[in-house]
Amino acid sequence: MTIKLDAIRECLEGVVPGNIATCAPDGMPNIAYLSQIQYVDADHVALSYQFFNTTRRNILASPYARVTAIDPRTAAHYRLSLQYLRTEDSGPLFENMKARLAGIASHTGMSGVFRLLGSDIYRVLDIERVPGESLPPPPPRRNLLAALRACTERLCGAADLDDLLARVLDGLGAHLDIDHAMVLMLDEAGGSLYTVASRGYATSGVGSEIALGDGVIGVAARERTPIRIGHFTAEYSYGRAIRDSLEKSGAAGIETEIPLPGLAESRSQLAVPILACQRLIGMLYVESAQDLRFSYDDEDALVALAGQLGAGIRLLQQSQEAHDEPAVLTEPAPPSGGQPVLVRHYRENDSVFLDGDYLIKGVAGAIFWALVRDHADTGQTLFSNRELRLDPRIRLPDLSDNLEARLILLARRLLERGAPVRIEKTGRGRFRLCVERPLTLVSSGTSGQA
Amino acid sequence: MLVFTTGGSDAKAGYYSSTMLEQNPPILDAAHADFVVGGVSINAAACRRGGFPALARGVGCRLSADRSSLTLLFGAAAAADLLEAVRRSGAIAAVFSDPPTHRTVQLKGTDALVLRPEPGDRELVAGYRDTFMRVLGSLGYSEDMTRALLACPLDELVTVRFSPSSAFTQTPGPRAGEVLGGAT
Repeated sequence: MTIKLDAIRECLEGVVPGNIATCAPDGMPNIAYLSQIQYVDADHVALSYQFFNTTRRNILASPYARVTAIDPRTAAHYRLSLQYLRTEDSGPLFENMKARLAGIASHTGMSGVFRLLGSDIYRVLDIERVPGESLPPPPPRRNLLAALRACTERLCGAADLDDLLARVLDGLGAHLDIDHAMVLMLDEAGGSLYTVASRGYATSGVGSEIALGDGVIGVAARERTPIRIGHFTAEYSYGRAIRDSLEKSGAAGIETEIPLPGLAESRSQLAVPILACQRLIGMLYVESAQDLRFSYDDEDALVALAGQLGAGIRLLQQSQEAHDEPAVLTEPAPPSGGQPVLVRHYRENDSVFLDGDYLIKGVAGAIFWALVRDHADTGQTLFSNRELRLDPRIRLPDLSDNLEARLILLARRLLERGAPVRIEKTGRGRFRLCVERPLTLVSSGTSGQA
Repeated sequence: MLVFTTGGSDAKAGYYSSTMLEQNPPILDAAHADFVVGGVSINAAACRRGGFPALARGVGCRLSADRSSLTLLFGAAAAADLLEAVRRSGAIAAVFSDPPTHRTVQLKGTDALVLRPEPGDRELVAGYRDTFMRVLGSLGYSEDMTRALLACPLDELVTVRFSPSSAFTQTPGPRAGEVLGGAT
């Protein structure tokens, strides 16, 4: 084939709807509109199977189809000759198309009508440029390869995870004009993701959680696949739903969830798994208030960047574990004065409240409780990651769990809440607990003790 | 909405409509007739040998006064495959869609003929393009883009005439695929 499929991917976005022609066994043709053509790889596309209609009957009887794709910028018109291979009704491709279809349906007023039953996978036999007029392509917004190179170069030399995440998020803004982004880490045991860094939101949302399978980030994480949505869809938008539920529960008194950051009018969303050696360790998520902001090329760039980020996180983690030094325990605790702070810990989920205000839960909550207990019992202020990793009270869900990400999360939460307790890094794998006011510790729940 | 007639057969069509319509009403009722000749997208398909489909975008449509005969207009180069398939089999499917409402109708026939354009067809193509460009413009497509999309060299216009023998609604939703109701 002379025209490569990946060279015309932008025509598959459905900005100008395509058509599909098929033939019945008796030679009667059929033609229908296509709501979705999904690029699978250089030789395959997938079409959405939504209804058992004539198109479907025809391709099951005779596998050949022809579809049109039109470049929305230049009006260049292509025809693809396809051969139907198989249908997938679960898995990464299916979930990806389902999420995208939800965006398309919402944008075109077809929510509740478009429903993906399967992803029909076709081999692309030929691509033909249809004779006709076209416009010169607009100049590219930027050279994405150069931007990607600049972004990845920024990652080199990151001192620690906190620094690495800052470099990624700063790079997205500086080189890719992506101003709303967040990084979430996987809590494998909890089946959830927690926000560890973000850019471009009124509140950082650090510590907010998303269950695997919830919204575009949760589905992309569960399926280990990038998902890119070009239009707002209520079905995959959880930011607003979470905010709404928070507002309702706010009336009840105690805040127990941290709101997920997010654009209220998010129209383009791209969630990319951060993998290290094919293992999911987190998610990189970007969004925009603009429709169709992210292209296939943007997706490729972010997948490549997330790959670098995954490798970087793993390398830092390994070097940290190899070089963790035990803390020096001789520093006397500085005197703390003022009104005592009531630190309440609930054992069942390790949630911690400071003077009644929710701080954190889960592993980060357990870490905080261990630190303040040791501080209260022995006056210890200097700690090491190594001792925390081995501390049975913390119950790290997995040996490979990223302890440093939990500490970043905890340190940021303390800072953002203006808490009288802070965590300061003192060296590689070491930190100081700074306590400004006396702490009164209360633990409740199963086998809890004050 | 204008309903174009096949050139040179007006008188005959008039006679046909007054006697035959009651016994054998056309597939298209008046409302659908207006729809298919309006500012809607037109695409057609036919079958090549070996079960390979062909498809092309239409650049205009006219209907006989009795609504029994539909003529689609194409650019010969862009529709070469389709025209060849129509010549071979006579079977054609054409889909008409109104982008703002997604209202969509598919017509099929088995007696399609590839014919030369008739007087007035060039004007019809220009009129269709202007009307459909306005529709697409209201959806945010740029004028330059839609003008290029709907452009057709007038010196290579070719037409395909057929009698719709079946019609289906294809508007997305639970009724998609249903046969259109009888003529009114």
